[in-house]
Amino acid sequence: MKKRKERIDRGIKARSEDIFALSSYREMLYLLVPRAIPVVGLLGVAPFLSPYWQEVFISTSIYALLAISWDLLISAGLVSLGQSLFYGIGSYIAGALNHYCGWSPLFTIPVAALGGGLLCTVLLLPVLRLRGIYFAMVMLVLPLMLSRLVEATRILGGTEGLPGLTPFPNQLIALYVVQLAVLAALFGFRRIMASDYGLVVKGINDNDRSVMSAGINIYLYKTQILFIGASVGSFAGALGTHIDMFAGMPGFALDYAIMPIAAAVVGGMRTFVGPMLGAFLLVPLSEILRALGALRIVFYGLFLVVFIVALPEGIFPYVQRKYHQLERWVELE
Amino acid sequence: MLSVNNLMVFFENALALNDFSMEVKKGQIVGVIGSNSAGKTTLMNTLSGLIIDMRIKEKRRGGERITVYGEIIFDGEDISETRPNERVKKGIVLCRERHPIFPESSVNENLKISGYLRNRSQVRDITQQVFELFPALVDLKSRKAGFLSGGEQQMLAIGMALVAGPRLLLLDEPLLGLSPMMQNLFVDCIKSLRSESGITVLLSEQFARPVLPMIDHGYVIENGMLTLAGTGQELMDNPEIKAAYFGV
Repeated sequence: MKKRKERIDRGIKARSEDIFALSSYREMLYLLVPRAIPVVGLLGVAPFLSPYWQEVFISTSIYALLAISWDLLISAGLVSLGQSLFYGIGSYIAGALNHYCGWSPLFTIPVAALGGGLLCTVLLLPVLRLRGIYFAMVMLVLPLMLSRLVEATRILGGTEGLPGLTPFPNQLIALYVVQLAVLAALFGFRRIMASDYGLVVKGINDNDRSVMSAGINIYLYKTQILFIGASVGSFAGALGTHIDMFAGMPGFALDYAIMPIAAAVVGGMRTFVGPMLGAFLLVPLSEILRALGALRIVFYGLFLVVFIVALPEGIFPYVQRKYHQLERWVELE
Repeated sequence: MLSVNNLMVFFENALALNDFSMEVKKGQIVGVIGSNSAGKTTLMNTLSGLIIDMRIKEKRRGGERITVYGEIIFDGEDISETRPNERVKKGIVLCRERHPIFPESSVNENLKISGYLRNRSQVRDITQQVFELFPALVDLKSRKAGFLSGGEQQMLAIGMALVAGPRLLLLDEPLLGLSPMMQNLFVDCIKSLRSESGITVLLSEQFARPVLPMIDHGYVIENGMLTLAGTGQELMDNPEIKAAYFGV
């Protein structure tokens, strides 16, 4: 007997595109539960953690922000190898404003987010016309260059950095600020990509010439996306710098460039939830693996390789598919 | 030479080919005629084995599940699970639709790439034959293939398939996007391939008018199902075909 595995969409999903989603509790729950998981998971769990794990949670959330921002850029076909550029610039702007002008974090962080976004966009504007590897190379080089610039010219504290910045009043507040930012970026970006504007952005990634033929100035859209992504990255940098009470060259470190990419690949690219999930898996994992000492990186790398080979689509798309589809065996003829 | 028995191909839940059977004898030109979405390209991909690769890739990405059932027998050997590269070694070469060339390489380089696994002198001879078959390509030897016109790209694509050394040449929509005059040129070329090089040709096409007169045997496919089969003349005389494909 010949058999074939058949996939069926759960009936609810087919109708949930519009107002029908409100027609019964079952359908509302079907849509709401997955969206409630990150909200409850982030905001609800945090207060019950030990101070050490709260700290881990904060740095995880900062990586998650960078990963989500990376994901926005990749949606527009911009391969960023330098999230550390956003992080470093955000952290230096917030640090300098706090250190030299004595501004409170309440003002430095928003200014750093917007100013960082603007500065990064201006820095990257010349290469925005280039696709793929060229853009990636420039993004990789810029943070390295800037950190050497700081070292050589001794501006902004040089190798010493800017110490003694104003911290958050307590760790829980810091935790909640970061997590609200992650949730805002997550749902905001998903909203953007679901709108018609998002369609244009996806189109630029798929086939930029066709988008140009539709009379759309793709560079304008790319610039906007770059600005939004860079702002979120700089925001993460500004938060991180106030939490660490220090702004310095480590802000341009390669960690901030590599980790978001690894998180996005493990979690599933172009979904925003995926990179966040990936960050929440990889950063705590690397903390747990600290017990292994020198072998840590080996196990970490091994985990990444196994994961990518076994589930190349990423965790989130896999889970999403299982949630939306039933599978069953059917007989042929 | 090639026989296909009860071939079924599913893309997820969509049935692309339904219980399709056909036969290609040595030295014949066989045509598969069908409109868009009839399953011609799926048939060609299945015969050339590309679908095995697609199946694996989609499975790994969690994309569409591709299911293939049925037998493909080539020279008395069941090749339905043979990888595409092995099939080329056996002599089944596919020329995919829409000018599958390397746009960044020159015409000469394109031909070299597809002859990479064969020995040099053989490739040189066949390249010479290709240039004799398509004299228009001679002046374009060092031009970037991406800048050729549609017809020239199709010539190059067929040339590349020939350099790979086919015994059974699969042509997927060779007349796609060509003017009637160009179509006649290609029809003549395909005929001369058979008469001069002894290559068996299986082609899929939606233009019945230029194709039907040259084929020895034809299959009409609709929605993945075989609806009519017969010699080229029989198909041409069939009133349904006349109505559907000749607009008479």
